[in-house]
Amino acid sequence: MIKADDRSFFGELFNSRNVLQQLVAQQLILRYRRTALGYLWTLINPLLMMSVMAVVFSALFKADLKTFTVFLFAGMIPWNFFNSAVTQSGSSFINNEGLIKKIYLPKIVFPLSVAVALVIDSVLSFLALFAIIILIGGSLSWAVLFTPIAYLLLFLFALGISLIVSITTVFFRDLQHVILIAMQGLFFLTPILYQHDALVGRVGWVVGLNPVVPFIELFRAPLYMATLPSAGVIMHATVLACLAMAVGLVVFRRHEKKIVFRL
Amino acid sequence: MSSIRVEDLSIKFRIYHDRSPSLKEYFANLFKRQRPTAYSDFWAVKDVCFEITAGDRVGIIGHNGAGKSTLLKALCRVYESSDGKISVAGRIAPLLEIGAGFHPEFTGRENIYLNGAILGYSKQQLNAIEQEVITFAGLEEFIDTPVKYYSTGMYTRLAFSLATAMHPDILVLDEIFAGGDAAFMAKAKARMHDLIDKANIMIMVSHDHLLVKSLCNRVLWMDHGKLVADGPPEEIVERYLAGKLDG
Repeated sequence: MIKADDRSFFGELFNSRNVLQQLVAQQLILRYRRTALGYLWTLINPLLMMSVMAVVFSALFKADLKTFTVFLFAGMIPWNFFNSAVTQSGSSFINNEGLIKKIYLPKIVFPLSVAVALVIDSVLSFLALFAIIILIGGSLSWAVLFTPIAYLLLFLFALGISLIVSITTVFFRDLQHVILIAMQGLFFLTPILYQHDALVGRVGWVVGLNPVVPFIELFRAPLYMATLPSAGVIMHATVLACLAMAVGLVVFRRHEKKIVFRL
Repeated sequence: MSSIRVEDLSIKFRIYHDRSPSLKEYFANLFKRQRPTAYSDFWAVKDVCFEITAGDRVGIIGHNGAGKSTLLKALCRVYESSDGKISVAGRIAPLLEIGAGFHPEFTGRENIYLNGAILGYSKQQLNAIEQEVITFAGLEEFIDTPVKYYSTGMYTRLAFSLATAMHPDILVLDEIFAGGDAAFMAKAKARMHDLIDKANIMIMVSHDHLLVKSLCNRVLWMDHGKLVADGPPEEIVERYLAGKLDG
């Protein structure tokens, strides 16, 4: 039931926390219902994929498998979260068309529930990465305690962009396909498979502009380098995260009321 | 005390002509001075004004496509007004589409919590009403089965029991519910009447004129998006059936 007196944007979101929680649970549970391994697939799938990549690329770059695995995983986990949040939020309204046309809910719960479900998946695969680092005899430093902050900044950045993508996709359906291609390109322009300074010249300059780079660094410094990220990187990431959220919220609030007419 | 105030409400839909231009046409159109518009505007509700106060039992009548359901959805905030204002005081329960938001893969019990959350019930409220909902729907045996295996009757019974489990201040109905077998329908009708009795305000859309006359104390007649008459049920329904705008 809707109460008339709680129509402010955030007040309304707070009142809808129960819906948000249900939508998140729906996404976490449904994917693997009636499979033998169930939720474990969420962990197995990316870990297997990353293991294959680690074997192939460590051979290609003639790097030590152990160190390269940690290096790669530390970059892939934040990337995978960012990538799925941006690509999946695009269809968050379209998939819930039936609901949106029948009942009033604060629109932000749809992209937000996608991002929250994905960050939960991501944190769990991050914990699995921990286990792997210890198993292959790597060492962890106190710097890993920084990762919750890294996750918070990455989450805000990804959510801000997701809000823009989710709204824009309703108006331009082609965007769903464009985003998939763009994200693939962005993957290769982000130093995940290679070191930041490995690309030089004109392409290296593009990597310097890539907004995802500082967020990868936030994860890679504590996990791979066993140090805290530099103050410059933290500042850079914080500014980008706040900027993405600010623009995301402005775009979202300006257009959220038109969604129902365009689904 | 609940109340609803609708001032100059208009709701516009854009109808997109279902013909996407080819790439060639798209470029050709870029250079034309007058581009063909890709859509036309349609006013589903136009300049509607009324006020509903506590105790009102309002029936909305009119032919198909007159804007009745759009008006109800605007009251429940599904559609944003293009023009004008709606002010609502009191808790409003959307009973527009019973079972909206059910997930076929979820069990009946899980759907009580999912759909309940969508309807705006808190977790404590859901814990409290869960058993009553299951008993009323008569689904004790199947409540932990995914609803995609339910028969249509079982599905509507569960949805109805859940949607009507709480008493809202303002009750909004789009055609009164009728579903399930005879025994359930009798139970459901009794529950519906109880809900209507306890509601502070009731608004319903119906094509059943006898029902409107028996349940409502006021009738709004909508025609092509406009409110054309507002008054006591007997009089307005008679005029509507006679097809006369001015009595």
